[in-house]
Amino acid sequence: MNYDFNFAPVLANYPRLLEGAWVTIQLSFGAMVAGLVVGLMGAIAKNAGPRPLRWLVDAYVEAIRNTPFIIQIFFIFFGLPAIGLRFSPNVAALVALIINVGAYATEIIRAGIESINRGQVEAGIALGMKRAQIFRYVILRPALRTVYPALTSQFIFLMLTTSVVSVISASDLAAAGNDINAETFASFEVYLVITVIYFILSIGFSALFSAIERVAFSYPLSR
Amino acid sequence: MKILNLVLAAGGLAGALAATSLPATAQTPQEIKDRGTVNIGMLVDFPPFGILNTEGKPDGYDADVAKLLAEDFGVKVNLVPVTGPNRIPYLLSNRIDFLVASLGITPERAERVDFSQPYAGIEISVVGEKGLDIPDAAALAGQSVGVARASTQDTSLTKVAPEGTNIQRFDDDASAVQALISGQVPLIGASNTVIAQIQKLRPDTYDKKFDLAQQVQGVAVKPGSDELLKEINQYLTEAKKDGKLNAIHEKWLGQPLPDFIADDTAPRVDGKPASK
Amino acid sequence: MIREFGTSDFLFILFAVRWTLLLSAIAFAGGAVGGLVIALARVSQNRIFSGLALGFIRVFQGTPLLMQLFLVFFGINIFGISVTPLLAAAIALTLHASAFLGEIWRGSIQAVPGGQHEASWALGLGYLDRMKSIILPQAARISVAPTVGFLVQLIKGTSLASIIGFVEMTRAGQIINNATFEPFTVFGLVAVFYFILCWPLSIAARQLERRFSRATAR
Repeated sequence: MNYDFNFAPVLANYPRLLEGAWVTIQLSFGAMVAGLVVGLMGAIAKNAGPRPLRWLVDAYVEAIRNTPFIIQIFFIFFGLPAIGLRFSPNVAALVALIINVGAYATEIIRAGIESINRGQVEAGIALGMKRAQIFRYVILRPALRTVYPALTSQFIFLMLTTSVVSVISASDLAAAGNDINAETFASFEVYLVITVIYFILSIGFSALFSAIERVAFSYPLSR
Repeated sequence: MKILNLVLAAGGLAGALAATSLPATAQTPQEIKDRGTVNIGMLVDFPPFGILNTEGKPDGYDADVAKLLAEDFGVKVNLVPVTGPNRIPYLLSNRIDFLVASLGITPERAERVDFSQPYAGIEISVVGEKGLDIPDAAALAGQSVGVARASTQDTSLTKVAPEGTNIQRFDDDASAVQALISGQVPLIGASNTVIAQIQKLRPDTYDKKFDLAQQVQGVAVKPGSDELLKEINQYLTEAKKDGKLNAIHEKWLGQPLPDFIADDTAPRVDGKPASK
Repeated sequence: MIREFGTSDFLFILFAVRWTLLLSAIAFAGGAVGGLVIALARVSQNRIFSGLALGFIRVFQGTPLLMQLFLVFFGINIFGISVTPLLAAAIALTLHASAFLGEIWRGSIQAVPGGQHEASWALGLGYLDRMKSIILPQAARISVAPTVGFLVQLIKGTSLASIIGFVEMTRAGQIINNATFEPFTVFGLVAVFYFILCWPLSIAARQLERRFSRATAR
């Protein structure tokens, strides 16, 4: 092994790494929040929507879940302008991420809603709850609690997926790494540092999700 | 069970692959000759210098120059496709013997690799949508310009671009061109050959705004490979003299080798904007 | 140079499907072996083994596959060995698959009711016999559906090998797009090919899961 590790030029570029990491955090967080909304709407449509809408949701979920993200983002950035839809790279990245995670969230939340026992709903009706109340307290909240682990690991996976967005010239953490690599040629060192930062981010997001879980789902379990 | 068989077959294949991974690469001409094969890195997404032909094989100006050099060495050629950002790492990590990869000779790169005399030359300009009034670099403020990451276009544009220019870096020239054609960026930095293609593809849509740099391309070897470099230079000189290089240039670019390459009179530094 | 999208371009992308399949198969085979080792280490009584396995899983599930590819690609050189993009991608995807399959199979092993462990103890079976004859066959049944589901993720993951220059389906699409500049057609076609590969697996995974949950419903 006669290789001289040279981390100095990588670490000297730490402001750019931080800037890139910040974009990655924003993209991830934005896509998680919006993806959750898409997932909720998708799951509700799948559950209670008219048949054509259910088919549409099915097609969306299957198309996204069975094709790679990198193809989806190429399609959105390079293909969609042909029909007049044009986004800047970071916005295109966010749109692609939302569309992607929305499909997974739809599927996860749908499974959660289906896991709710009919008897619970009937109990809610018997108690004289309104439809919206039943949906919110009897269906949605327990469903979300059931699928929370699946949802959050999907979100972590999403955060890691953002590393692909530099292919459309978005300026995330991986793009900062690519730029520094192009200037320093210290490839291994650059990508090792970047990987460590992603690892820290995934630990950070995990901690955030546990904190949210404690706050949002701390009411006693009833079996 | 069919799936099991497939998995087992794949496992066996993986073992075979591990055994046939590329051998470590030579730095001296003798090592290359002993091996009987020369591994040459080239781009495959930089028409007309490096492309994949319809059979999926590397082709283009660089491929023909690489083949010519292999012939001179008296060995078989193994063309290794590289990408713009990873071509120098490829060389430095011993994956290939040398690069014939449209690598522009710049002072920054010369610190990393050793260059031969130029074997090709191109002009780099900013090109964009007609009607956009961009007479010089100063007018770029507030504009988005696409370039291939780590290319000469990238470095020379970065040098002259005023504050407020949004430089969007793509993985290769083709992606930058795609972004221009899709309307994702109104301007890109590109070479004259790329610009000629864009104009063929979409006539009367784009025009040249201003020149960024003149770039000469050299064969790149690992630093300190003096013997190898000497032989490559010798072969290039011969190819320029006997007209072989010119013939390749005519074939791929439809015009004779520029004088500044043929006579080797090009300035060996670039990155500065062309004087107007 | 710039040409219309034609039959030869279609065939170029179609033929690249085999590289996607080959890479997926290698990674799955390697990941199956690695995953079994990781899963067994994770459930072992030995703290060091289970700790190491946990660390391995955390690192590979907590970092992007793209970075894992880059690190293997550029990292192996440090030892003076050069690797082709195919080999680098095969190694990185194998490690990646080992971590995910290891975690899936750990869950499956632990889902085998504790009584089964105790009963095989009581019968005086050694570790190998206990695992081979009692625990793993039951765990295997539990794990089929999520394993097939992961295979879909793995096939999609091979698309990132394009970024280190391995010409599988995605890279083939990029190369063709760079010559034809018809992204709608090219990437649409590539997406359809991936869909054809992945969709049947997704359906199979779902049906297996449904069948399994019906079988275990009490």
